[in-house]
Formats: sequence, structure tokens, C-alpha cells
Amino acid sequence: MTTMLRLVRAEIRKLTTTKLPWGFLAVLVVIAGLDAAVVAFATDMDGSKTFVATAADQQSLMAFAFNAMVGTSLFGAIAVSREYGHHTVVPMFLTSPRRTRAVLAQLIAVLVGGAVLALVGQALVVAGVALALPSTQHGFLVSAGDLARLFGATTFAGAIGATLGAGLGALIRNIGGAVTTAVLVVFVIPPLAVQLFSDAGSWIPTSLFAVISGTSPDVSLWAALLAIGAWALIPAAAGLVAVQRRDVA
Amino acid sequence: MNTLEFENVTKRYGHEVVVDDLTFTVRPGRVTGFLGPNGAGKSTAMKILLDLAKADHGRATIAGKRYREMPNPARTVGVVLEPNAFHPGRTGRNHLRILADGAGIDPDRIAEMLDAVGLSHAADRHVGGYSLGMRQRLGLAAALLGDPPVLVLDEPGNGLDPQGIRWLRDLLRERAAAGGTVFVSSHLLAEVEHLADEIVVLNHGQLVTTGTLAALQQAGTSVRTDTADALTQLLRTDGASVHTGTEGELVVRGIGIAEIGDRACAAGIALHELSPQAGSLEELFLGWTSADNTPASNGADTSFASVATEPERQAVPL
Repeated sequence: MTTMLRLVRAEIRKLTTTKLPWGFLAVLVVIAGLDAAVVAFATDMDGSKTFVATAADQQSLMAFAFNAMVGTSLFGAIAVSREYGHHTVVPMFLTSPRRTRAVLAQLIAVLVGGAVLALVGQALVVAGVALALPSTQHGFLVSAGDLARLFGATTFAGAIGATLGAGLGALIRNIGGAVTTAVLVVFVIPPLAVQLFSDAGSWIPTSLFAVISGTSPDVSLWAALLAIGAWALIPAAAGLVAVQRRDVA
Repeated sequence: MNTLEFENVTKRYGHEVVVDDLTFTVRPGRVTGFLGPNGAGKSTAMKILLDLAKADHGRATIAGKRYREMPNPARTVGVVLEPNAFHPGRTGRNHLRILADGAGIDPDRIAEMLDAVGLSHAADRHVGGYSLGMRQRLGLAAALLGDPPVLVLDEPGNGLDPQGIRWLRDLLRERAAAGGTVFVSSHLLAEVEHLADEIVVLNHGQLVTTGTLAALQQAGTSVRTDTADALTQLLRTDGASVHTGTEGELVVRGIGIAEIGDRACAAGIALHELSPQAGSLEELFLGWTSADNTPASNGADTSFASVATEPERQAVPL
């Protein structure tokens, strides 16, 4: 097994040997339950269930990509910043003193973890909606192709969010600070950017994930993929550079 | 040969010099104790050796290589550095599994090491519930996991019970006897006295002395005189380290016994006693690191450095 694979394996074991992923999984179950409850009990103003009447409505309701990005950005931020808080970064850099390799392995593991969490979250949401729909007069209308696109978009969003959070975790090294910054980056900076530059509206995560999920044609799919990739890669690259320069306290 | 070498290593944090032009060698086949008061720069020096901190000047190597240049450092160098470098929600066994995964170490070693450090019974408990001694044992198990020929241990005896201290001492001596390089910092001077063949002493980031413990313990001179102040001033001018011993005598290091007598005679100072002193490590340590014996206060910077760089030729502490 190559050094990189060994390090990725160690990083994945790190993620799976604490309660962190289980905590996030519990949140996903709650979100899926809420979605199912909305379908089962909520109505439009006129008392009807038109918000789930068409395939497009159902697809929008189940589009989980932005939520996945938010959740996994917190997951990534906590997973990486806690290494500094608990000093477990010391054995990590002793095992792999070439820090680029160590941090890349960590980013890959967190990315995979984020993607898996997002995929599971999307599956739970789809299952919740599918189970709740029979209580309405509407059936499950989303096609297999659109469903596949939803799953693909959410999995990608999970990977992107986790990478973004991991980059911030490496940069800030404090759980509270990293989580707060992740929330700012995902929730505060995009609307602020739109306020300052009206054209920015097409390039914020919510708009980009709508394109990737197939619920908006605002920009091309490839442009959306590249732009959302940049949202993750910039903090990840900054974290990678910062880790090279710093002493381990 | 897994020799550890510090060559003119200097480290600053802002304007503060934490490690100052440090040069010494740690040889295999011996246990080398690394001593100094709190804040002397021991941990920083170890971190520089392990590439966890960057030196502003100089280099520290293991078998001629920087730590980061070693192909599989975790199997060459076993390290205990941070007593709490564990995730509290992870089990001891999983902590070791992660290290074994990362370094490509046979997983069978995990159970062996847990058994060796006496932690098998608690291996599947969360580390957050471990006592300090248990965490220290887990740290030692991690250090020994790759069966490394070099051990770099920062205060490994902290929190260990007497049986644990005894076990650790026997282990380190066995490792050194088998040709391993053992570099261990400790503030438990009595323990170091039992354990170390050689010592390296730091104070304010500077090397105070290095050499074999046996030679260093014989290297002082006990002097009694009615004019202690004048003699102290005279000998310090000549670069000697002078401090007052536990019974009021002057303890002089860095200058030979005959030379002390000659200087006193030439200055017309009557001596009532002039004898070689075999001090305990604690007495020696306090002498080396006392406030009136800092390099800045006794003006002996250069002589400290000269002794430090030539421990074999002149096993005399200053």
C-alpha cells in the first residue's frame, strides 16, 4: 500500500472512531423526518397540497445539496480543527512529517466522509418524502434520471462543503472559530456579495447547487461545477499553505 | 548509527530567543538525559529535531537526516511529546490503530504494545476516562509501536506509578544496551540519575553542560574561605562557575583544582578547604541553572559553548 493510501486510511479511521459522524447522521435523520412531516401535514394557503403536485415541485422539495454543503462544512471544520485542539496533529505530523501529504490525506478523508454523509442525507430525505407522499393525493413523480441527478448533486455538495470546512479548520485551528467562519462563508458572505455586486447572485452556493440539482438553468452545469469547486478549493489551499508554515504548538 | 545531532540550532518566538545556538550530540547505545528548568527550551529543541518546529538557524538531524527526509520516520523514531495528544472520545486501541495504519505497522503490534505497557484491560475504553499515568502508558505504547531504534521522550515518567517508573527505566536501559538511541527529558532528577549515562543541560535556551553523568558528578571543587566574595569574583572573572553549596562552601566548576589554589594564593586569599566534590545530580543541576549562574549574569557564554561542543575532550561542566 502506498504511503498516501495508508495515510488516507488512517484519516478515515480517525473519522469513524469518534461520535462525530454519528452526531451528523442523527441530524440528517431529523431533517428527513421534518421533510416527511412537511409533506404529510403541511398545506398551501388554500388547504391543498399543490407544493408536491408536480415532479418539479417534488424535486425542489427534495433538493438537499445546499443543506448538505452547510452540514458538511461544519463536519469538515470540526473534524480538522479538533486535531489541533486535541493535539492529535502531533502524531499525525510525526507519522507523516511531509505536511502536504498529511493534510491532503486528511482533506481526501474528510471529502469522502462529507460525500457519504450527504448521500445518506439525500437518501433519507427521498425516503422520507416517498413514505409521506401516499398520505396525500399525489404519487412520487420524480423520474429515475432526475433522482440520480439529485443524488449526484448532493454527494458533490457534501464533498465540497466538507473540503471547504476542512480548509477553514486547518486555517483557524479552533473548533468554535472554524465553525463560526464556515457559517459566515456559507450564509453571510453570499448575500453580502449579492448586495455589493448584483451579478454575483448566479455564483453563490444556493444558485449554483440549484443549477447542479437541475432545478435552475441560471448558468451552465460546467460553470456551476467549477464555481462551486472554487468555493471549496480556495479555503482548502489556504489551509494547506498555512499548515506548511506554522510550527506545531 | 542513529546519532542525533544539534548543530548551532537557534529558535526565536518574536524577540524571545527560546533555543540559542544549541550544539550537542546524542549517541546510540546510551541513555541521554535532557535537563533544564521549565521554559529552558527542551521541548522546543525536541520539536525542532522532529520537524514540528522550524529552526531559525542551524539544523538538527537523526542519523544525518532531517526527520522529514526519513522514508518511514515512525518506524525509526518513537516519540512521546504531548501527554494529552489523544482524542478523548477515541479508545486507546483505536488511537494505536490509526498510528499503525498511517505508518504501515503490523496491526499485531497493537495488542503486543498494549500488553507491554499494561493497558490491555483498558484498551477499549475512551481515552478521556484514562488517568494521566494511563495516557502516558498509551503514549509510550504509541512510541514503541514501530519498534524504533531511536526514542525521543519528553517527560515520559510523568504520572507513572513507581512500578511504571521502574518498568520505563528497565525498558530504556534495555533499548540503549541493544544499541538504541534514547534521548529523554525529565524533571525527575533522581530518576535521571538512576537512568542516564550522559546528560545535556539547558538553561535559558543555552547549553549549560553536556557529558557523562559520572564525569560531571566528579567535576566540581569544594572551597572554603573567609573571603568568599573576593574569591567568587576572582574565579568568575576567569570564567568559572561559582555558587554556594548546601553547607556554605563555594562550589566551583569550569576551572581545575590546582588552578583555583594558584589563583587564590596569587591574590593572597587564604583557603581553609580545597577538595574535589562529588555532588548529587540535584545539587549539580541547581548549580548549573541557578539565577547567579545564567550565562548572562556570569559572563561565561563563550566558555559554556566551548565545553558544550567538546564534551569528550573536556568533560568539565561550566
